[in-house]
Amino acid sequence: MFDLETQIQSWSDHLRARGNFTDADISELEDHLRDEIEDLITAGLTPDESFLISVKRLGNVDEVSHEFAKVNTENLWKHLFIEPVDSTAKKESRRDIFLVVIFALLAGTLIKIPGLFGLGFDDPGADHFYIKNISLFILPFIAAFFMIKRKANRKTWSTILGVFIIAALIINIYPSFSPYNTETLSSLHLPLLLWLIVGVAYIGKKWRSSQGRMNFIRFTGEMLVYGVLVSAGIFVLGGFTVAIFGAIQIDAEKFMENYYVIYGACAAVLITAYLVEAKKSIVENFAPILAKIFSPLFLAIMVSFLVVMIITGKSPFMEREFLIAFDLMLALVLGLVLYVISSRNNQQPPNLFDYLNLALILIAFVIDGVALSAILFRLSAFGITPNKLAALGENLILLGNLGGLAWLYVVYFKGKCDFIKLEKWQTGYLNVYFIWTAVVAFIFPILFGFY
Amino acid sequence: MNVSKDLIAASATPLILAILKENDSYGYAIIKRVKEMSENQLIWTEGMLYPVLHRLEEQQLIESYWNKSEAGRQRKYYRIKDAGLSELELQRQQWEVVHSALAKTWSKEE
Repeated sequence: MFDLETQIQSWSDHLRARGNFTDADISELEDHLRDEIEDLITAGLTPDESFLISVKRLGNVDEVSHEFAKVNTENLWKHLFIEPVDSTAKKESRRDIFLVVIFALLAGTLIKIPGLFGLGFDDPGADHFYIKNISLFILPFIAAFFMIKRKANRKTWSTILGVFIIAALIINIYPSFSPYNTETLSSLHLPLLLWLIVGVAYIGKKWRSSQGRMNFIRFTGEMLVYGVLVSAGIFVLGGFTVAIFGAIQIDAEKFMENYYVIYGACAAVLITAYLVEAKKSIVENFAPILAKIFSPLFLAIMVSFLVVMIITGKSPFMEREFLIAFDLMLALVLGLVLYVISSRNNQQPPNLFDYLNLALILIAFVIDGVALSAILFRLSAFGITPNKLAALGENLILLGNLGGLAWLYVVYFKGKCDFIKLEKWQTGYLNVYFIWTAVVAFIFPILFGFY
Repeated sequence: MNVSKDLIAASATPLILAILKENDSYGYAIIKRVKEMSENQLIWTEGMLYPVLHRLEEQQLIESYWNKSEAGRQRKYYRIKDAGLSELELQRQQWEVVHSALAKTWSKEE
């Protein structure tokens, strides 16, 4: 069944993805397309015929886009901040900026409050408190920002804030004894868990849908890229502040430590969230571009690593630190694979990057298998510790994720399923991560008696 | 008849300004008007028209505003400014020079 609205929508999405058009340009061209279609329908054509002819007449999108680029190059960055076309959008963007400022101030102040009760940064025992709670100071504000933007209903608000409050209570009520293994594990897994909660706030009502989750995965990648840029800016500004005040013999470092770093970090996170949300659909995503550049390089390194390892017969997994480094690398590889998938059009036939992706997945799968056997060896040799059990779980989950992706890729290459199935599987797998991080953060401490 | 690309490009500005002098208009209507005025000889593409419109706007010869179309959609209209009117006058004089020169040579040939 031909749906004119959907077709027009996907046509304008296509224009948007080119990146050469401002929102105003796209509205203008869309209006033009609709005029053309209406005239053709009046002349007696069917909607699908009219749509096809109108799109054809509007010219090859690349050509139009190229012409626009000549006029619009200077806008490429400017139009991030350009006034939106209609007044409601204008009001909304002003409100968002206002929210960002208020929330950054609130989050920064929230971090300062424990200092009043003898838990300042320099007080004894405070480092544990801050490491444990740091995500709770900032993430609720990002969640709130998106719930306001998405006009969440009262139930969503109370559920999400409820989860944050419960997490805060549990993590602070749990006792902790030296050597603090379970506490460290909780502190590491809690931010990941809460980030997924932010994801629910970000996606909104359709938080179960594969498309919504894919958008959140894209959002996460862009957050990382933009976060690094914004933090670099804040860092440079801080450096100059200290330097120029130093030149007039005023020591700004105390101020920097106490206020600038804290408020700057909070502001960086919230500004990044705002920017990524605002530029969505205007500038092409960066994370997939980086992923495409680095996935062949990672593949080359990992293949040569495996070959050298087999030839020399050395096992890299005897040391704990290496094991952790490997896990991080596997997670990164999974990220690369994900962002290549995320930028892909579902209808596209398989291309070079799909095959590269499969190769990368397979090689990561093999390395993960080797790592897993090393962990099992350590478990049987040295007994169960919370760290090892957590590492085992993480590797098994990664193995499951990589294995599933590899399998679906093969099925897809054989032409037996649509690409959308891969996406659905991956977004569904987020549930596994959610459950696992929750288990490590909240159940491990009980299992291991809080040691 | 296929009018050459150069000639279409050169005549775009005076044609647009002349159409906007009649009354405010928008992209789709401008293309239709040009087609109508030239008796189907001049067919403009959108890829050419919109960049020219935006350039004229940048040069402050015309200005744009958003308004509702008859169907209730947001539509971008263009309006000629005073600078545009004097530019049109200037272009008209230039074209007349070219036209009268050509007309003289062609009448000799006959």
